[in-house]
Amino acid sequence: MNLSEILVKILEYMFVAGWAGSAVVLVLTGIEDVGTLLDREDEHSH
Amino acid sequence: MSSTSNSPTGSNRVRIVVATSVMLTFISYWRAAAVILNDLGSSAFYAGGIAEQAIGKSAPWFVLGVMLFAFAVRAVYVESCSMFVRGGVYRVVKEALGGTLAKLSVSALMFDYILTGPVSGVSAGQYIAGLINDTMVIADTRGWIPAALHHLFRGTPQVGVNATAVVFAVAVTLYFWWQNIKGIEESSEKALWVMQITTVMVVMLLGWSLVTLLKVGGHLPPFPTLANIHYSDESLGFWKHSKLPHMFGILGLIIGFGHSVLAMSGEESLAQVYRELAHPKLKNLKRTAIVIGVYSFVFTGLVSLLAVMLIPDNVRMKVYSDNLIAGLAMNMVGPQVVRLAFRAFVVVVGFLILSGAVNTAIVGSNGVLNRVSEDGVLADWFRRPHKRYGTTYRIINLIVGLQLFTIIVSWGNIYTLGEAYAFGVVWSFVFKTISMLVLRYRYKGERNWKVPPNLHIFGVEIPIGLASVGMVLLCTAIVNLFTKSVATVSGLIFSIVFFAIFTFSEKVNRRKHAHSAAQMKEQFQLQLAENVERETVGIRAGNVLVPVRDYNTLNHLKWVLERTDTHEQDVVVMTARISQFGSAAYGLSSEQVFSDYEQTLFTRAVSVAESFGKKISLLVVPARDPWSAIAQTAHNLESSAVVSGLSSKMTTAEQAFGLGSAWESIPEPKQQFLLQIVQPDGIVDTFRIGPHTPTMKNEDVVLLHRLWLNVTREPGLENIHHHDILTEALTRFARDYGARDREDIVKQLKRHGTEAGPLPVRRIADQVHTVQPEPARSDRDDGHREDAPTSSKVPGSE
Repeated sequence: MNLSEILVKILEYMFVAGWAGSAVVLVLTGIEDVGTLLDREDEHSH
Repeated sequence: MSSTSNSPTGSNRVRIVVATSVMLTFISYWRAAAVILNDLGSSAFYAGGIAEQAIGKSAPWFVLGVMLFAFAVRAVYVESCSMFVRGGVYRVVKEALGGTLAKLSVSALMFDYILTGPVSGVSAGQYIAGLINDTMVIADTRGWIPAALHHLFRGTPQVGVNATAVVFAVAVTLYFWWQNIKGIEESSEKALWVMQITTVMVVMLLGWSLVTLLKVGGHLPPFPTLANIHYSDESLGFWKHSKLPHMFGILGLIIGFGHSVLAMSGEESLAQVYRELAHPKLKNLKRTAIVIGVYSFVFTGLVSLLAVMLIPDNVRMKVYSDNLIAGLAMNMVGPQVVRLAFRAFVVVVGFLILSGAVNTAIVGSNGVLNRVSEDGVLADWFRRPHKRYGTTYRIINLIVGLQLFTIIVSWGNIYTLGEAYAFGVVWSFVFKTISMLVLRYRYKGERNWKVPPNLHIFGVEIPIGLASVGMVLLCTAIVNLFTKSVATVSGLIFSIVFFAIFTFSEKVNRRKHAHSAAQMKEQFQLQLAENVERETVGIRAGNVLVPVRDYNTLNHLKWVLERTDTHEQDVVVMTARISQFGSAAYGLSSEQVFSDYEQTLFTRAVSVAESFGKKISLLVVPARDPWSAIAQTAHNLESSAVVSGLSSKMTTAEQAFGLGSAWESIPEPKQQFLLQIVQPDGIVDTFRIGPHTPTMKNEDVVLLHRLWLNVTREPGLENIHHHDILTEALTRFARDYGARDREDIVKQLKRHGTEAGPLPVRRIADQVHTVQPEPARSDRDDGHREDAPTSSKVPGSE
């Protein structure tokens, strides 16, 4: 394996790890978003 | 001659109160979402086609992935806004990584903003050209094209798609260039209206697509595996001859993701509208983020997916690659004429939203360059106002010049434009996210929300969510450097050139500002104040507020000083430092609010006041729009009158309407005031701002009296007053207007309105009287007039 292939591998691991973490972000913020949408208190939608 | 100074220190220098908070009119999250979607939503018209050209039929999965990931990017923006009210890229990067990288990140952002215009204009042109050509084909097959025309074109008349797109993009860019030179501002109302029409189109598109799928069926695009990704010749850039993209499956996914990332361009607008969001700000920002997230996922994501499912492979990329939604409209079930009509509707919506994005690009770039210019990063020369319109025309010329150059060089190639566009989009996100990571450890101020999840190990916070988003963005940006050769070369050249201009200008400015700061120190004393208050300015209630903008037109100040005894009534000269869309994303220092221009303007104003031997107070207010600034300042200072000059762009009635509308946005309790507009020829128009007793026509007074006479003849109604008749009449009117007679009433009022002049002006600011023209007057700067006063009344004393 040459250097460029090693660097590409590192990028791939980073990307996969990043997506896994981002998926957690999506789930957690999604749950929070549902709460925000259901909370109609002090909503200003004129 | 009395001094114009009111310095509490007793110094001879003139004190100027500089408000550091931008005066804004706050908007709901729906309006904020509409403003952002005008930019973000426009990418639905071209993102899917560009992605499929690059990586093949599995592209919609990548677009959907990008739209999903955009929710996580939005979370980064929400966190940055919870820390800084103006949480744009420049501010955040400067705070975290310093001025050099901030300049670099702004250069990338500028590349994004400047390319938004050409890519949107060209895309709209492609849709229009496509519609013209297909209509011609259909007309030709039905024999509707005259033989002579057929002969002239040697077949079905067709327009050159790319040439038409270029002509259209140039025309739209030039139109918005002129609008921006004139300083005509976009409104959130217009954005909301465009999004309402777009929503109608999206609902029709999705509904009709569903019916079509149920009737004729369809297949999902191939899943995004290495075997299903088919790179085009251009999509591998510098890796065209490398085996790397074909060796690694996940690298293929990153390449595909990188070619689809432009679908989430426009996220930066989220930080820019935050400052203008109504209370509760953070909650409304989250709601805005949800609205734009869901909308763009459905619009951009699903439309790309449906396009592959419904448009046959043999025509999709060949005919509709640059106008995918039009292709979708033409491949629904139903009569051809109806489909063509729907396609025309798609083109109209595309024209509206994409043209809006062209304007957003100019306004956004202008805003960013203005802010960095105010930060001393761009030479003052660029900020010199237009002689007539007062806009930063040199910056606008530079931006539009670069956009026109880009349109012509690309010659309508939407693929190249889109690929280059992605460079600016992804790198500004990278800078932003890395800065937010750094700020997790460096920033000690308030932070109301954090991107989850966050682990705590031995008291150290590990921002897993933020780091994850950063990793995806960084990997995508790095891979894009290799796979998008045109974008990399053009983006790097552009960024380096802009960075060099910023760095050089900053050095020149630092030397120049040191000199002018010393000069200003001798003449003015700046007093910074977070908000404008009467006590801060040191004036009494019932004062006269005189907005000034151009130092060549201070006639209205002379008019006020001639008629006002400043011992009895204070005169406040204010200038609004207009911060355009997006500018609220950056912090303002006194140097930013009080620049060379304001210094010259106030030097002239002080000179006029001194020539009258009268005292004035000086005030600088940063604001999003002049009307809000004037209305809010008059409200805060409890002014009894505002005396303004005539705008070069508006009539006096329009000016009154503008100020009246801004006054309506001020929360209760609020007081009314007079607006007097002094025209260059000496005519003074006076308006009351706020609710007031209307001026009644003589025949109405007679009618009221006659009714009163009749009513008081009734037994038991002898004690009725005129106002009782009016109360009863108005109560009945309100009841009828709210019920069955509304249409009739509206019809009648329209008739009255047509007879009596423009309705909106009458509604908000009824004109109370117009002072007749005076004899010709001298406009000498010493302020001594030979003509008689137009009114013995002190302004605002009514």
